Amino acid sequence: MAAYLLKRTVQILLTLFAFICIVFFLVNAQPGDISNVYALNPELPPDAKQRMQEQFGLNQPLWQQFLVYVKNVLTGSFGLSFSHYPRSVADVIGERLPRTVALFFTATVFSFYMGFVLGKIIAWKRGGWTEYATTLGGVTLYTVFTPWFALMMIWLFAFKAGWFPIGKFLDPVLWRDAPLNANTLFNRMMLTVFVVSVIVFAIFLVTTRRRVAGARYIQIGSLAAAAAVTVGIWWSTDVGHLAWDLIEHMILPVLTLTIISFAGTMLLTRNSMLETMREDFVLAARAKGLPEKAVRDRHVARNALLPVVTSLVFSLAFAVDGSVIIESVFSWPGMGQTLVSAALAEDLPLAVGAFVFVGIFVLLAHLAVDVLYVYLDPRIRY
Amino acid sequence: MSGAPLLAVTDLTVDYHTRAGEVRAVDGVSFTVETGQALGLVGESGCGKSSLALALLRLLPESAQIRQGQVLLEGVDLLALSANDMRAYRWNRIAMVFQSAMNALDPVYRVGDQIIEALEQHPSAVSQDPAERVRELYDLVNLNHNSIDRYPHEYSGGMKQRAIIAMALACRPDLIIADEPTTALDVIVQDRILRELGNIRRELNMSMLYVSHDMAVIAEVSDVVAVMYAGKIVEYGDAAAVFKRPIHPYTRALMSSFPSVTGEKHDLATLSGEPPNPLDLPSGCHFHPRCPFATDVCKEQAPPTVRRGTQWADCWNPPGDEADG
Repeated sequence: MAAYLLKRTVQILLTLFAFICIVFFLVNAQPGDISNVYALNPELPPDAKQRMQEQFGLNQPLWQQFLVYVKNVLTGSFGLSFSHYPRSVADVIGERLPRTVALFFTATVFSFYMGFVLGKIIAWKRGGWTEYATTLGGVTLYTVFTPWFALMMIWLFAFKAGWFPIGKFLDPVLWRDAPLNANTLFNRMMLTVFVVSVIVFAIFLVTTRRRVAGARYIQIGSLAAAAAVTVGIWWSTDVGHLAWDLIEHMILPVLTLTIISFAGTMLLTRNSMLETMREDFVLAARAKGLPEKAVRDRHVARNALLPVVTSLVFSLAFAVDGSVIIESVFSWPGMGQTLVSAALAEDLPLAVGAFVFVGIFVLLAHLAVDVLYVYLDPRIRY
Repeated sequence: MSGAPLLAVTDLTVDYHTRAGEVRAVDGVSFTVETGQALGLVGESGCGKSSLALALLRLLPESAQIRQGQVLLEGVDLLALSANDMRAYRWNRIAMVFQSAMNALDPVYRVGDQIIEALEQHPSAVSQDPAERVRELYDLVNLNHNSIDRYPHEYSGGMKQRAIIAMALACRPDLIIADEPTTALDVIVQDRILRELGNIRRELNMSMLYVSHDMAVIAEVSDVVAVMYAGKIVEYGDAAAVFKRPIHPYTRALMSSFPSVTGEKHDLATLSGEPPNPLDLPSGCHFHPRCPFATDVCKEQAPPTVRRGTQWADCWNPPGDEADG
C-alpha cells in the first residue's frame, strides 16, 4: 500500500506537470493580454499599456514566461493576480476553492446517497409505476438545461416563496459589523464538519467491523448526537447567526445540484443491481433464508456499489466544470466564477492558477477514491 | 427405511413465461427421498432438473410459476407456506450446494462470516457459538482453520467447493440439494470431494438430492436414480438396478456416452439429435425422434409405465430381459 501510494504520488506529479504545460500554453493562446483593458481608454497616456506589459513581463517571449512560471510553481508560488493586484493567485484561490468544494462535495454526497437508495429500490421492485415515474422524472431532471433549471429554482423558491436568499454567498447587511471575516468563519465551519464526519465515520467503521451488538442504534445515535452537539455549540457562540446565514445561502444551490445529478447515480445503481441480482451468491443468500431486505442491502447493493463508486470519480471531475454554470447563476463566488472572470479579464496567472488547482483537486479526488476502493472491494490489493 | 419419507414430491409442475409462450420445465414430477437416502437426478441440460431443485426451495426466478403439485417435508407442504414461514425452512431444513460453486460465495465478505450469516439466521438450528461451529465445519470438510477469515478470491476452486459444502452443512439440515456440485472442478478434485461428501452424508445420516448431467457422478454417489427427460422422470429405480439393466433407451444412451471406469474398451456412443424444443415438444413419447427403437405408437401416445421390481420406466418398447445384459 505504501509503495502504491508513492507510485501514485509520482504519477500525480507527472500528470500535474503535463497539465500545467498544456494549460499555460492554451490560456496564453488567447489573443491580447490584460493591458487591452486600458487600450481603448483615452485618458491613459499611450505608454501606460507598454509599461504595464513590462511590469507583468508580458513583453518577453512566451517560452521565457513559461520557464519563469515553472520556476515559480516549483518554489510554491503561483504569481500575482493581475485583476486582484496585488493579491497573490494562491491567496485568491485559497479564498474561493473551499467555497466550491463545500458546495459540490455536499451536493455530491446528497445526490450520491439519494441516487443509490432510489436505484436500489427501483431495481428491486421492477415493473411498477414507481419505477416508471422515478426513472422518467430522474432522466428528465438529469437532462434538463441546467442554467434554466437553476433560474427556475431561484424564481420559485427564492423569489416567489421567499424561503431562501436569492444567490450570493452572504447577506452583507448582517455582516456589517461582524466580529470576524466571512472566510475565516466559513473555513472554521468546514473544519468542524470535517472533524465531526471523521469521528462519526470512525464510529460507523468500528461498530460494523467489530460486529458490535445493536450497531445500527449506536450509529444512528452517534450521528444524531454529533449533529446535536455541533449545532448546539455553534448556536451558543456569537457568530451562530452568521454561520446560519452562510448555510442559508448554500441550501438552494446544493438542492439544485442534487436534483439535477442524482439520476445518473440512480440509473447506474439500478443497472448494476440488476446485473448483480443474477449472481449465484444472491441465490445462495436467499437459499440461506435471509429476509429480502438483507439480501438486497447486504449482498446485492453492497456488490452493486463498486461500479457506482467508480463513477463517483468521474462525477467529481464533472463537478468542477459544472461549477462554472451553477456558480454564475447563483452568484456564488467560487472557483467557477473566478475562472470565468479571470479569463474575461485576461488575468492569465489567475486563470492558469485556477485551472491548476482544479486539476490538483481532481487528481487528489481520484487518489481518495482509489484508496476507498481498497476498503470496499477485498479483491483489490495494491 | 420405514414410515413416511422425509421428502415427498407429488405431481410438481413448473412453467416459465417466455416471450415465445409458456414453457413447461417440470411436468408432473413425483418422487420421494427417505431419511439418509441419496437420490441422483440426471438428465441433459435444459431437461428441467435445476428448475426442479430450485422449486423445492421456492427459489425459482420470477418468470417461473409452480402450476401444481405438493412438496411435503415431513408432512408439511412447503408450497403452501407463507414467504416468512418458508424462510425458516430454507437452509435450516433444506440446504443447497450450488451449481457453479465458484460464484456462490459473495466476493466482498470473508468466507467464515458468510457461514456465520446462515447460522445467525437460524439460531435454533445449532446451539454452539457460531464461530466454534464454523471451525468444526472446516474440520469436517478438511479445510484449514486459517482460511476462515479469508475472502473467496483467496480460495482455490476445490477449497471454495469445500467451503460451500461446509456452509450447506452449517445448520444440520435434513436434506441437501446438490446442483452440479462438482462440475467446475477437475476430475481428481471432483472425485475426492464427492467421496468426502458421501462419507459426511452417511456419517450424519442426511438425505441428499444430487442433480447432475454427469452419469459418472450420479453413479458414484446415489442410492436411487431418477432420469429426467423433457421435464418428466422417464426412469426411476435403485442405482444398482438402473445402472445394471436400464429400461429406457434414453438411460442406455446416457450410460453409453460415458466411458466405463472398470470395463472393457468400447466406442463411446453419442446421443444423436438435440434435446427437444420445450416450446414444441414431440407428440407421444417426447424421446421418440431420437430413439433408435421408436415405432409408430411412440409418436402418437404417451408411453405406459413398465415396472421391474422397484425400478420403472415410461416406454413403449422396453428391451426384453435377454436382449440386454
